[in-house]
Amino acid sequence: MKPILQLKHVRKDIGKKTIIHDLSLDVFAGEVFGLLGPNGAGKTTTIRMIVGLMGITSGEVLVNGVSVTRDFEKAIQHVGAIVENPEMYKFLTGYQNLVHYARMTKGVTKERIEEVVRLVGLEHRIHDKVKTYSLGMRQRLGLAQALLHRPSVLILDEPTNGLDPAGIREIRDYLRKLAREERLAVVVSSHLLAEMEMMCDRFAIIQHGKLVTIESVQELSQQTEKVLFIVEPKEKAAQMVKAHDPHLDIRLVDQGLEVTIDYKDIPRLNAMLVAEGINVYGIHVLAKSLEERFLEMTEGNEIV
Amino acid sequence: MSNLFSLIQNENMKIYRRFGTWVMIGLLVLASVTGAIIIKATHKETNDWKAEVAADSNNIRKILKDNNIPKIQKDHLQKQLTINEYRLKHDVKPMESNTFWGYLINSADIISLVTLFTIIVAAGSVASEFSWGTIKMLLIRPASRAKILLSKYITVLMFAVSMLALLLMISAASGALLFGVETIREPYLAYQNGAVVETSMLAHVLQVYALNCADLVMLATFAFMISTVFRNQSLAIGLATFSLFIGPQITYFLSLKFDWAKYILFANTDLAQYIDGMPLVKGMTMPFSLAVLLVYFVAFNAVTWWTFQKRDVAA
Ligand SMILES: Nc1ncnc2c1ncn2[C@@H]1O[C@H](COP(=O)(O)OP(=O)(O)OP(=O)(O)O)[C@@H](O)[C@H]1O
Ligand SMILES: [Mg+2]
Repeated sequence: MKPILQLKHVRKDIGKKTIIHDLSLDVFAGEVFGLLGPNGAGKTTTIRMIVGLMGITSGEVLVNGVSVTRDFEKAIQHVGAIVENPEMYKFLTGYQNLVHYARMTKGVTKERIEEVVRLVGLEHRIHDKVKTYSLGMRQRLGLAQALLHRPSVLILDEPTNGLDPAGIREIRDYLRKLAREERLAVVVSSHLLAEMEMMCDRFAIIQHGKLVTIESVQELSQQTEKVLFIVEPKEKAAQMVKAHDPHLDIRLVDQGLEVTIDYKDIPRLNAMLVAEGINVYGIHVLAKSLEERFLEMTEGNEIV
Repeated sequence: MSNLFSLIQNENMKIYRRFGTWVMIGLLVLASVTGAIIIKATHKETNDWKAEVAADSNNIRKILKDNNIPKIQKDHLQKQLTINEYRLKHDVKPMESNTFWGYLINSADIISLVTLFTIIVAAGSVASEFSWGTIKMLLIRPASRAKILLSKYITVLMFAVSMLALLLMISAASGALLFGVETIREPYLAYQNGAVVETSMLAHVLQVYALNCADLVMLATFAFMISTVFRNQSLAIGLATFSLFIGPQITYFLSLKFDWAKYILFANTDLAQYIDGMPLVKGMTMPFSLAVLLVYFVAFNAVTWWTFQKRDVAA
């Protein structure tokens, strides 16, 4: 499969400081890709380079194979973005803001504007001035302007910033839907680790402007995990497990038994317990949270 | 890929959807109407214009007898004298400010208000996008930075032209209402190659307006440049209005001492000096001033264009 968005050895110097070092990544259609990093890691800087707000010191960014620096207009027409906060013209209505951006791209009809307004759930307030909007409503309007021209790459810098829990969930579901159903490549940045885990298919960890690693959320959750078996009686179960495989790391806890085990081995262990007459009330994968993973990666270093 | 026309449409929307713009338009209308009312209320009729013109001519003749006066001044007085004689001979009354045409000529003084407002709009054009943060949304569209900048500059000039047209129309309307249109057929006396010719008054009014526009265009371009380079509207307004009000004075004082003062922008913005006045520095001509203005114009725009094109947007 050909990536829609490619960063090739991208580097950014500001003054004598190197803000981004040799960053390379590929983002494919149909996936939600995360940029994860602590404050000051260089997420926003990376996004600014992708959308052409900042020049690239060396390396290149390709959208559908077209270089953003060499053929800006052609490359950017496939990109929709919000960089940092969704700033709008406050003295205009939401609708006028959208008309403004619609005029800047070919082929955005009045119907499309109304469709997008419905999509982000702003139909009741769209004719009000933006200065009367809450942060969440501005965030939605920002999303609307990014989707107006049916981009194939959607780039959002901290999209859930300022949203209430319901709004966060809505955006998350919506972005996943865009990726699955409309085959968009979605790039989101965040320093909220749990959020990345719920929203993304893959994510890059960036620290001090360097790519630390690229992880797949699915693979991550299928590595060796701590699994909680809620069982009765606990002591007997512990003995059985030990007998079954003496190398397993077992711990008795209040609700039952915590076992560190390969993801794929969980069903076998469960079958064995049931066969031995143990009552199994539940199995919880205590997925090693991204947070642990993240701190492990960055070795608990100071973050900024 | 977005076309220039749509971009200009956007820029206009951003100007006219703002309350401040309408305050400026209101003030301009007010200035023009009040100007007419004040003139109507305070103007004193001259009883015998022929006697006054004759007295003026005698005065000029006395001065001309002195051989020490510089040639430019001499030419200027000579021209004045010829026109005076023509008036007496053909019974053409000098234009007074409480007439339709007289008021229109006077209204050209209000152009400095248009200049001020255009400076404000030009200063905000780029800088506001930065202070609002909307520049990030504006520059990630399929439109080159050059095109966006051009649309902004054109829109600023369009604003200036609209304001000038409005000023002319409101002044004509209030002039017609308060002073009447009986004198509308009076000619303008122009001095061409040593002789007096009667020309169209409307053409003269338009010429006066056009000559007054040099500093309007230059200062708007200057404000536009500062606004783009420093991304700060207040600074751009401050520097440009300071130049508007203080520049000519400073230039005048410098011109008394130094010959190079003729290269200063403000020595050249008053183009009317070549039509019915005296050049600031000896040897200055209309083509010279136009050339100097052109150099400044190109320099301002080059700096603006270059910074907008090259600089990172990290607001
Ligand atoms: N214009 C600039 N001049 C100098 N340094 C800059 C500039 N912009 C950003 N930086 C530096 O680049 C680094 C990365 O900044 P960036 O805004 O990309 O971080 P971020 O990952 O988006 O952080 P956050 O999570 O706080 O949004 C920071 O150390 C910052 O100080
Ligand atoms: Mg950031």
